Amino acid sequence: MNNKLSKIINPWVPKEGKVIDFGCGDGSLLEELMKTKNILGYGVEINDKKIESCVSKGVPVIKQDIDKGINEFKSSNFDISIMARSIQCLKDPSLALNRMLKLSKRCVVTLPNLGYWKCRLNLAYGRMPVTPELPSSWHETDNIHLCTINDFEDLCKKEGIRIMNKVFLGSNGAQSNLSSLSPNLFAIEGVYLLEKQ
Amino acid sequence: MNVKTELITFNTGMALENGHKLDSFELMVESYGKLNKTKTNAILVCHAFSGNHHASGKNKVNEIGWWDEIIGPNKSIDTNKYYVVCCNNLGGCSGSSGPKSINPSSNKPYGSNFPLVTVSDWVNSQKMLMEKLDIPYWHFVVGGSLGGMQALQWSIAYPDKIKKAGIFAAAAKSSTQNIAMNEVARESIRKDHNFHDGNYLEHGVIPKNGIKTARMLGHITYLSEQHMNQRFGRKFQDDSSKVGLDVDFEVENYLQYKGEKFSEIFDANTYILMTKAMDGYDAASKSDDLSSALKGVLAELLIIGFYSDWLYPPERGKEIQIAAMNNNIKSSYVVLNGEHGHDSFLFHSDKYSQIISKFIES
Repeated sequence: MNNKLSKIINPWVPKEGKVIDFGCGDGSLLEELMKTKNILGYGVEINDKKIESCVSKGVPVIKQDIDKGINEFKSSNFDISIMARSIQCLKDPSLALNRMLKLSKRCVVTLPNLGYWKCRLNLAYGRMPVTPELPSSWHETDNIHLCTINDFEDLCKKEGIRIMNKVFLGSNGAQSNLSSLSPNLFAIEGVYLLEKQ
Repeated sequence: MNVKTELITFNTGMALENGHKLDSFELMVESYGKLNKTKTNAILVCHAFSGNHHASGKNKVNEIGWWDEIIGPNKSIDTNKYYVVCCNNLGGCSGSSGPKSINPSSNKPYGSNFPLVTVSDWVNSQKMLMEKLDIPYWHFVVGGSLGGMQALQWSIAYPDKIKKAGIFAAAAKSSTQNIAMNEVARESIRKDHNFHDGNYLEHGVIPKNGIKTARMLGHITYLSEQHMNQRFGRKFQDDSSKVGLDVDFEVENYLQYKGEKFSEIFDANTYILMTKAMDGYDAASKSDDLSSALKGVLAELLIIGFYSDWLYPPERGKEIQIAAMNNNIKSSYVVLNGEHGHDSFLFHSDKYSQIISKFIES
């Protein structure tokens, strides 16, 4: 997990809250939240190596394909659910968003922006974008549902999801004037705090 | 490795879940490694249905322990660092009090009169063992299958005496199918003409055929279809190594051989008692549901399932995970491929061993 990203998410997570992180990777975000905010965190991950990292960090983790189960955890009363850089890999991102907002009142979603100018340039030259943020070629990528910042915000509107807070990261992976001014063109990543209306 | 095998007597006896009281009992105990000065490094290993106290290393008759791939110096349960204890469960046939022991009131073997014990009874007897060994709490209680049920029960029954629990290839209760399979096995034992209502020792015989058939069925349920296909396929057994003339296929020979060996060492009444305990276990039996049953649990849980296990499939572990999360218990649920079906919990694989050692150390 990018350090700058976790600094943005950190204040949105309630102290001693119960947190579920879908696509938690090696568990470093949850580990940091456990240390700094004393949360009870659970990660959901499919990759065995990453699961091992979580276990060695003492981060509770569940092996699960996110596409197959978000609902399973609905009896658990989470304060917040997180899905960082994973929603674009899901078969049904809209369903996933709605399900996360059933698990917890609020959720954090981060996603790469296909509207970023370098991606547009790639397309203008007739090629699928390959950038540092989207490094895999079209036939190898897990990102099957890429969208732009505008597309994502449209979806939230359509689904009755309120955007409580948002931060846009520029090319250096941190907030910048350009990325805040015109995120759809200059942000590489959008970071959202969402709530069901 | 520092190995100690001892028979420990509990003269105070214990009250059993079904209302019976054992006036005194004995447990056959094996331990590896050393309890450290602060007494913080004790691990209890609980055996599955046909296991015993001999979990690691070679014993006097050169038998390798049932979890030797996992327990030992520098293995995932590292006996250089931890003091590892394993006992033959009450009602077993490897030295602890059980149906083969002499009933003091009749001076004959208990046979079928040995009281039916439960998973809770085992955990209670292991708690007495813990105190006897002067261990303040277990750093980790772990087991696979029926052993996993004991680890779960430990976390429920003695929340402040266990820091971590490992529940592998197990469930919070046996399924209908599990009970059904066990009943077929028990029936084959009961219908053996040498069974004599469980009092075969008095008649100087053992219901060998019944135990053998039961074990053959058991073996099928412990393996996966894929594993059996790969290992035996439809290969014919060599004439030179056939156990009997009726045998055609390798798989037949394997089951015949395994069943025969088992029938020579395992006690029929213990078979019935152990499977009854397994069938009867329901972690939620005294609560509304599994979530309420786990309410007081303080231990961190590691639940491991195997995709190839159809006897206690990973979904059963998931049920425990969900109930744990409902109770804000720090709990992880890991599913591994496992080549050996239900038996996968017995074998080392890099991923399996890594997860276990990292969980113990974390």
